Amino acid sequence: MPKNSKGRNVAEIIPDRCIGCQLCVGECPVEAIHMEADVAKIDSEICIGCGRCFNVCPVDAVIFEKPKKKQLTGAGQVRRPLEDYRGIAVFIEVRNGVVAPVSWELAGKARELAEKLGVSVHGFLVGANVQMVAKAAISYGCDTVQVIDYPLLKQYTSRAYGKALVQLCEQVKPEVFLLGATPLGRDLSGVVATQLETGLTADCTGLNIDPKERLLLMTRPTFGGNIMATIVCRNHRPQMSTVRPGVMKMPPKDRSRLGEIRAVDFSISESELPVVVDFIPTPEDLSGVDITRVPALIVVGKGACDARYLPMLEELAQVLSGTIACSRPVVQLGLMPYIRQVGQTGRTVAPKIYVGIGVSGAVQHLVGMQASEKIIAINIDPHAPLMEMADYAIIGDYSKIVPKLITGIRDRSRSMEVKRRP
Amino acid sequence: MHIICCIKQVPDTAQVKIDPDTNTLIRSGVESICNPYDLVAVESAVQLVEKYGGKVTVISMGPPQTESALREALSLGAHQAILLSDKAFAGSDTLATSYTLARAISKIGGSEPVELIMCGKQAIDGDTGQNGPGITTRLGCTLFTYVSEIRDVDIKNGFITVRREVEGGSEIVKGKMPALLTVELQLGTPRYASLPELVKSLREEVNVWGASEIEALPERLGVKGSPTVVRSISAPEARKGGLTFNAEQDDKAVENFLDKLFDREAATLSEILMKTKGTHA
Repeated sequence: MPKNSKGRNVAEIIPDRCIGCQLCVGECPVEAIHMEADVAKIDSEICIGCGRCFNVCPVDAVIFEKPKKKQLTGAGQVRRPLEDYRGIAVFIEVRNGVVAPVSWELAGKARELAEKLGVSVHGFLVGANVQMVAKAAISYGCDTVQVIDYPLLKQYTSRAYGKALVQLCEQVKPEVFLLGATPLGRDLSGVVATQLETGLTADCTGLNIDPKERLLLMTRPTFGGNIMATIVCRNHRPQMSTVRPGVMKMPPKDRSRLGEIRAVDFSISESELPVVVDFIPTPEDLSGVDITRVPALIVVGKGACDARYLPMLEELAQVLSGTIACSRPVVQLGLMPYIRQVGQTGRTVAPKIYVGIGVSGAVQHLVGMQASEKIIAINIDPHAPLMEMADYAIIGDYSKIVPKLITGIRDRSRSMEVKRRP
Repeated sequence: MHIICCIKQVPDTAQVKIDPDTNTLIRSGVESICNPYDLVAVESAVQLVEKYGGKVTVISMGPPQTESALREALSLGAHQAILLSDKAFAGSDTLATSYTLARAISKIGGSEPVELIMCGKQAIDGDTGQNGPGITTRLGCTLFTYVSEIRDVDIKNGFITVRREVEGGSEIVKGKMPALLTVELQLGTPRYASLPELVKSLREEVNVWGASEIEALPERLGVKGSPTVVRSISAPEARKGGLTFNAEQDDKAVENFLDKLFDREAATLSEILMKTKGTHA
């Protein structure tokens, strides 16, 4: 155990383990810790050997002699007994009468979590003329649906929707509140969590329950997707989390499920709200494209940007009954719209078959597609990261390989059809 | 008009690579840059002030080296920079960060009223985009997320009209100022600072504010003010590579690949291929 010149036992950081979260820096009572090249460093002459940094470190990167007593310092004072909060709430996102599929994925996940906690699932349904969605919410796993149906909620505004959901959270008091990480959900969750002064963990890829402490375990990729962090919100309720579309499984629709639908009073003054004066739909050929919901994706990368071959790639997508997507450089070159971008700053996809063509596989791209069932990569460079992780890697010039794939798949799918027919 | 831009210094994630042996992140040698979305916010704030008159103040919360991001904003034409740096801020999650930034904005606005607050729609290292909504809620101003165009600023009556990118299209929204805008990259391209501006930006003073300067409640800052904590860290399940077919050396490589694919993934493929046949028939 290291000692300083005063003979005091001091703490020491293992640099390889440190993830640079700075929790210890904030915890240290004598400012003995500072960051050096993204890693914490303890000045042993200032350190008083209190062991707080040891207790707070989430990755056991601190060496310290005292027996290990893990006491994470959760934040702030508790404003209301946590036991007052029970149940899992899910925000049901409706746009122009259409429910965002992620809402049902979350209802399915909420069902699973609720069973572990022995509580109910509440659907929070907010909008104008959204009543007809309530029944579907029950079919997908909600036990109750709390409906705020109000004319001024026809268009989404942060303030009105924020107010409605804060009201529902205060009335229903769920211990967990889940929202889809759609553009709307990200906007809304930040507003609601701040008003309720509770914790919010964005873009989770895994949710689970610690039954002993009744805590929601929220797992999300961090540091460019290379580390998974599991985050908890100990002393504040509800425990809020957003989840990207397509990450959780779509539950089956069970029309025989029973539940309670409850209309909730609400009001807001119009003068408080911004006004949507116009709506410009995305051009027709793009609308309806949702790369997160296609079983087969042909993903075009920087190495397949020759516009002459684009029709050929589209044909490949067609024979696999899939659609075209791309990596970020392709959007930056202006060859494809942002709506088709896969990756950290684009969409997260998990198709049954992912075909990467000329996609090198930067970390930011891999984060957005690593949950794909089968990965096929075509690249002239056998050492591209995507090639090394692919289930099937084809080395070569895509302009020569793709035509062979098109005819090959056509032939085989024809013979499949023949076999099926007696 | 007075515009405050909130910026963040981030690791240049484009440079981050994986160590193939240990499957961990190689972070050494990765530069810190100003979050690209935030630079767009600064650029458009400067353009607005060039058109309507006024002043741009940039603020950032972070360790002392964050100063370089603030200087970059100054070189693009921002007028004043304030660094929020204090040991008490370390370990902040979203709730504590939005509290700290909102306190600083209130303090600045106390002496020079603020019409607009602008920030990037997200930071490239975290991608969460929750601070804008958080700050807005604390300050009680109007929120416009995903702004791709500023259509009109009616300073006299205190209204702003913007174009927002939403799913399925974009909407034109008009609302009251003060407002907070989180911006898309389409809003503008940050200019290249000229040499004299660069030199000037290095000479300018960057004020450093701590917890006492922003009159913050200590229990709402940093680790203490953060409801969420990291409980554990794990490596993501790494995918191991599978079969390789070399079409450069073997004419039959594509055929061999298809044979294997249709053999091993027969169930998946028939589901995908037959489904469409059925619906189109």
